[in-house]
Amino acid sequence: MIHVGLEHYLTVSILLFCLGLLGTITRRSLLVIYMSLELMLNAANLALVSFSRFNKSLDGQVMVFFIVTVAAAEVAVGLALIVALYRKRQTAHVEDLTTMKL
Amino acid sequence: MNASLMILEIIVGIAALGLLLVDLWMPVSQKKFLGYAAAAVLGIVLIYSFYAPQFSGLFNGQTQLFAFGNMYVLDPLALYFKRFFLVAAIIVLFMAVEFADRIDTGISEFYALILFALLGMMYAASANDFVMVFVSLELITVTFYVLTSYQRAKQASLEAGIKYLILGALSSAVLVFGIALVFGVSGTTSFPRILAQNQTLIGSPIFLLGSLMVLCGIAFKIAAFPFQSWAPDVYQGSPGPVTAFLAVGSKAAGFVLLLRILFGSLPDVVTHWPHVLIIISGISILYGNLCAIPQRNLKRLLGYSSISNAGYILLGVAALSREGDVAVLYYLLGYLFTVLGAFAVINRITRGQENEDISLLAGLYQRSPLLALCLTLSMASLVGVPSVAGFMGKFLLVMAAIQKGAGDPAYYILVFITIAGVGISAYYYFGVVRAIYFSKNATDLSPIPISLPTRMIIYVCMAGMIYLGLFPQAFISLASNAVKVLHG
Repeated sequence: MIHVGLEHYLTVSILLFCLGLLGTITRRSLLVIYMSLELMLNAANLALVSFSRFNKSLDGQVMVFFIVTVAAAEVAVGLALIVALYRKRQTAHVEDLTTMKL
Repeated sequence: MNASLMILEIIVGIAALGLLLVDLWMPVSQKKFLGYAAAAVLGIVLIYSFYAPQFSGLFNGQTQLFAFGNMYVLDPLALYFKRFFLVAAIIVLFMAVEFADRIDTGISEFYALILFALLGMMYAASANDFVMVFVSLELITVTFYVLTSYQRAKQASLEAGIKYLILGALSSAVLVFGIALVFGVSGTTSFPRILAQNQTLIGSPIFLLGSLMVLCGIAFKIAAFPFQSWAPDVYQGSPGPVTAFLAVGSKAAGFVLLLRILFGSLPDVVTHWPHVLIIISGISILYGNLCAIPQRNLKRLLGYSSISNAGYILLGVAALSREGDVAVLYYLLGYLFTVLGAFAVINRITRGQENEDISLLAGLYQRSPLLALCLTLSMASLVGVPSVAGFMGKFLLVMAAIQKGAGDPAYYILVFITIAGVGISAYYYFGVVRAIYFSKNATDLSPIPISLPTRMIIYVCMAGMIYLGLFPQAFISLASNAVKVLHG
């Protein structure tokens, strides 16, 4: 039976964060980019919860509640925008966002 | 728990919700005028902020009042910025009423969202805890996602909204992860308690990484290098009043948070990396000014100009002195009148036009001397011509840096970069002035009628620019009183 400590949780959290960052940078579909962004937020949530557990302080858990709520609001707005773009252009790719240059 | 301290925010919040409600039984033709009602409420809040009995402790020399377990702080700095945001929002609401004919549906929601963004900014001015920082920043950012894409029938507006959404969400993810790391090492999110442990925490690399990530999140809000790439596109695509509010309100909210975090929570981080702010400031100034040179779109030009202005203001923050912070507050006030004046003119002349090209300004001097004068004054203020607000602001910023230069020559280099930046900026700002007065290819010379609200905005902004430029003393002492809390 291995002991799961703070460092394990943090490793997972940092991995999730880096995966999210990688997805945001490399993917071309807006929906996938948006999923990656949510992954990054949840990586932070995991870190907060585990710090909270091992610091024996509930502040981190409270912060997570705020993050989850705010992320839900952000998704509502974000998906609405992506749908609006899809209606206009029939795609949701970053390549379609290039009308503004110089 | 002392909720009555938040009376200003509570009134603004109720006004925003009330606006959504009143919208339901307002005839469509009248909805546009709800903006004036909202501006009137903000005007009352602004006046009330000088007389509120809850704040009497502050007027009698008490430095800080706390609410909600020290999460919310009310001090002269917070009040200064709350009034700043209120003035900005009142002017932006007047602009929005003028802009109403270019918004297809939901004009009352447009006003309500401006009020919600204002609410976020007012909370940001009082943040004393990382939870508060996060929530107020997100309130500002999420409302701006909607506001920037409000003309969603226009491709550019939608594109601006999505770009702001993706980059904004990325920056808040970084900010939140930074907060998680800071919380993990210090065991608290409260500024004073992190400040108390600063000496011991500074040895921890995780704490340093967390602080750096928090600062990255803030740097996005103020559009400083290397988080500036959204600014030109979003400024160009957004509806005019939104761009104006983004340039003034959102940037100032970022700066008040930066001041609060740097001086109230993480001061040793800056002494650990003494040059990070100086470098960011210098590169922002050069990047913004150099990229602005070839721009032909007026809003995009101001987008790049806003990056360079973030650099100038960061110069004051980087000085880490009381003089520097006074300069920051003063410069922001001058920037408010300058940018809002410029956008009032731009919104008027782009009415009914397809683009926002600089060539629209051709013959403006003959068509409307008032608009020409206001835009000229704004450009003069952005360059820093003496006797207009921008000059005094830049003078104070540079003085603050020179005072620190004796200890660290990097400040002299930064002052040199600033002066070089001002020189470069004179070129493209003068390009705008030249288009107003000397452009030969003016096709349409019919006079431009200016409605009363636009005229009022322009008079207020011109008066603000000139007053701040000629009689800076009153506002310098106000700013100096406001930053006292940051420097013990």
